[in-house]
Amino acid sequence: MAIVSFPSSILKVTNLAKSFGGVKAINDVSFIVREGTVTGLIGPNGAGKSSVVNAISGFTRVDRGVVELAGHDITNQAPHRIAARGLIRSFQIARELQKLTVLENMMVAPFQQLGESPWRALISRRAVMREEREHLAAAVDWLQMFNLFPLRDEYAGNLSGGQKKLLELARALMAKPKVVLLDEPMAGVNPTLAKTLQGYISRLRDQGVTFLLIEHNLSVVEAICDHVVVLAEGAVLAEGQMNELRETEEVISAYLGG
Amino acid sequence: MSSLVFYLLTVAIFFCIYCIYGWGLNLQFGLTGILDFTYITFVAIGAYFAGVAALQPGNGGIGGQYILGWHLPFPIPPIIGGIAAAVLAILVGYVGLKRLRSDYLAIVTVSVGQIVWTLIGNITPLFNGWDGLAGVPQPFNSVFQLDFNHYQWVFLVICVLFAALGFLIIERLTHSPFGRVLRAIREDEDVAAALGKNVFRYKMMAFVIGSIYAGVGGALTIAYIGAFNPSGFTTMETFIIWAAMLVGGSGNNRGMILGAFLVPVLFNEGTRFLPSPPGNPLLAESIRGMAIGLLLIFAARYRPQGILPERKTVFRLDGLPQGGEAGGDRLVPQ
Amino acid sequence: MSLLLMGVGFGLITASVLALASVGLTLQFGVTNFVNFAYGEFLTIGAYLAYFFSTVANLNIWLSMLLAALLTAGFSWLVNRVVIQPFLKRRAPLLILLVVTIGLSLFLENGVQAIAGPSFQQYVTVPGAIVNIGPMIFTGQQLVIIAIAIVLMTGVHLLLKYTRIGKAMRSMSDDPDLARISGVPIQRVTDLAWVISGFLAGLAGVVLAINVTSFTPALGSQFLFIIFAAVIVGGIGRPYGAMLGALLIGLVTEVSAMYIDSAYKTVVAFAILVIVLLFRPQGIFTSRGRV
Repeated sequence: MAIVSFPSSILKVTNLAKSFGGVKAINDVSFIVREGTVTGLIGPNGAGKSSVVNAISGFTRVDRGVVELAGHDITNQAPHRIAARGLIRSFQIARELQKLTVLENMMVAPFQQLGESPWRALISRRAVMREEREHLAAAVDWLQMFNLFPLRDEYAGNLSGGQKKLLELARALMAKPKVVLLDEPMAGVNPTLAKTLQGYISRLRDQGVTFLLIEHNLSVVEAICDHVVVLAEGAVLAEGQMNELRETEEVISAYLGG
Repeated sequence: MSSLVFYLLTVAIFFCIYCIYGWGLNLQFGLTGILDFTYITFVAIGAYFAGVAALQPGNGGIGGQYILGWHLPFPIPPIIGGIAAAVLAILVGYVGLKRLRSDYLAIVTVSVGQIVWTLIGNITPLFNGWDGLAGVPQPFNSVFQLDFNHYQWVFLVICVLFAALGFLIIERLTHSPFGRVLRAIREDEDVAAALGKNVFRYKMMAFVIGSIYAGVGGALTIAYIGAFNPSGFTTMETFIIWAAMLVGGSGNNRGMILGAFLVPVLFNEGTRFLPSPPGNPLLAESIRGMAIGLLLIFAARYRPQGILPERKTVFRLDGLPQGGEAGGDRLVPQ
Repeated sequence: MSLLLMGVGFGLITASVLALASVGLTLQFGVTNFVNFAYGEFLTIGAYLAYFFSTVANLNIWLSMLLAALLTAGFSWLVNRVVIQPFLKRRAPLLILLVVTIGLSLFLENGVQAIAGPSFQQYVTVPGAIVNIGPMIFTGQQLVIIAIAIVLMTGVHLLLKYTRIGKAMRSMSDDPDLARISGVPIQRVTDLAWVISGFLAGLAGVVLAINVTSFTPALGSQFLFIIFAAVIVGGIGRPYGAMLGALLIGLVTEVSAMYIDSAYKTVVAFAILVIVLLFRPQGIFTSRGRV
């Protein structure tokens, strides 16, 4: 008999709270994301999903609560520190670096590149070039996987909406993250590409990448999420698997009535 | 030597110096998107500090009131000038670059420009106040013992060497991973931060390196003219460099060379013979200012990328596996 | 103590000039969402127009001021339509817009200098009788300046609070996207904001010129960063904040000038700007988190 190993939590959010000028955007939110899973964060408009994403990734400060990534407290740290710890986020509206090519977008992502120091860029040219080759190989790999390779020398600003979303995901993966936080990756993506994107996420999950996913489309959530957290009015309303949650009174009323 | 040759030498020297200014500003704005509306103040600080580093100790009397007076040989004064400009940049950067919108830094730079200008003019013991420094020794002149005209060639060689070195450094930085991060920040600060880049630190580095270019350029200017005072760093001077950058091509160091030729050289020299009627002695100056202002607006309107736009980076992929069966179910490169 | 109160007296005058200018700038920022570096030149233009009316056309200074302010308002409207709007229509990035306003500033200042010459000008006016209020000394003219500021600040308050267009202006400043969706007439509100800010700038230019007695084409550009200081202290885009910011900067600079060399007044304003930017970049009088 196989022993079912229960994956440990890699991202842990405890009692998060945040208000903007008296309005509570996040009331009291706690949940965990287990390693190697796709966790969905859903809820009606104004439920506080975006606030949670911004709070976790350090783009807004929280008033209360703790965010832990792989055992490290990352609460209210600067966004670049959180990213360097291994949590890479995407943005709801794809934010590609327009006047950088697709390949350059990828090449920005790896952490602590030697040539990012102006001094080393000047004097250690050989070592920098060597490192560039390594990153280039990884970038080419990812672009091929996402079918973006033919567009590698195109300015990212010239890509279609869906391609930008793909690029954002590829770029996030290029940073070798512990957790990828995707803010509505399917928004504005045509149905065919959305299916492809779903496929990628599932496959990456199988290969060990952890995702936290904000998503509106419940059938997408049902298809790819292992675990789902439902937010409403800045608090966790319910959690579990999507097929169970579909039956839950509160979830139905929150979506349809609220 | 004919006066035409002398004139052309002067123009060539200033052309080199404007290239140096331009590359620094280009690193700040063209690459990083930093709005430095008082670039000339960093030039001035470089010039003043290089000047007092090269001068004999001041006698404290009229025309002789200034700090330092270390009487250092070339090329130490330009290094000191560069360091002084860098220190000012760090101070300004701390106030203006931290978690603020880009217009806030612009406001800070405009304010700093005015404050520094007022202080240097009013506090005479610093750099001899409104009269400014004079009699700054020309580099190597005591070694070669050349007459004034022949010395111009020596100085041109010095400037060409500085410009060549400056170009080499700026090109390497621009096309390195460092330059790539700066451009990422220019495109979207949040994305750069979300990819683990310390935006403040990079902006500060770009601001400081750009200011070093300003300071060294200023040091060359004072070494050439031998004098410098507050009328040498007015707002308009900043925007001549800005116009040169926008016209030539922001983000492209070669475009900057073209811009340094077109704007400060052609434009300034070409308008030298505008009338200055007795009733309005600054008429030519005013018209030049209006023209620079219009040039900025029109460049921004019709060709913001400049004559030679930023070049696309194309990586050479030979030797890397590509195409074919790639993209299958193979494991993620973790 | 009386030195302090004397400083307060001067501070009230400076604050009045500053309030007119900074409320104008902040109203404009509220709808445009970018800083106009040519704003100082609107003050200069106001001052020179009034000079033309009062000295060349021999009109009364206050009438000249009103005419100058009205013309500056019209000019401001024109600048928005002719220079700024084409860039907004093309969705020019913020950086480019700022470069445009600084180019405009250079063009206008040098334009004034080309026409009027670089030398100092001065209105031929009567300062009026001296009025003592405790240790504070005012000329009749200065009391008029303070009165003008109070009347106009009240006017701006009534506009923002009670008129539909004023409320629209406020909502645009608070949340431009929301305002757009909820049917605020963007074009009209923007036009109006430029007209009002031009009018206030014109007035401010004239009273500034009266206050400093003699002026050059650099009048506005030299005053600009003090306006910035007041606007940022009050929280940029916030009219009431700008009023308080103007009061604070006016009082602190003038009181400090009683104790240190008055040549360093601007340095004091700068120091306040730096401190605010370092510790409360959103402004002293606001609670909003992000800038």
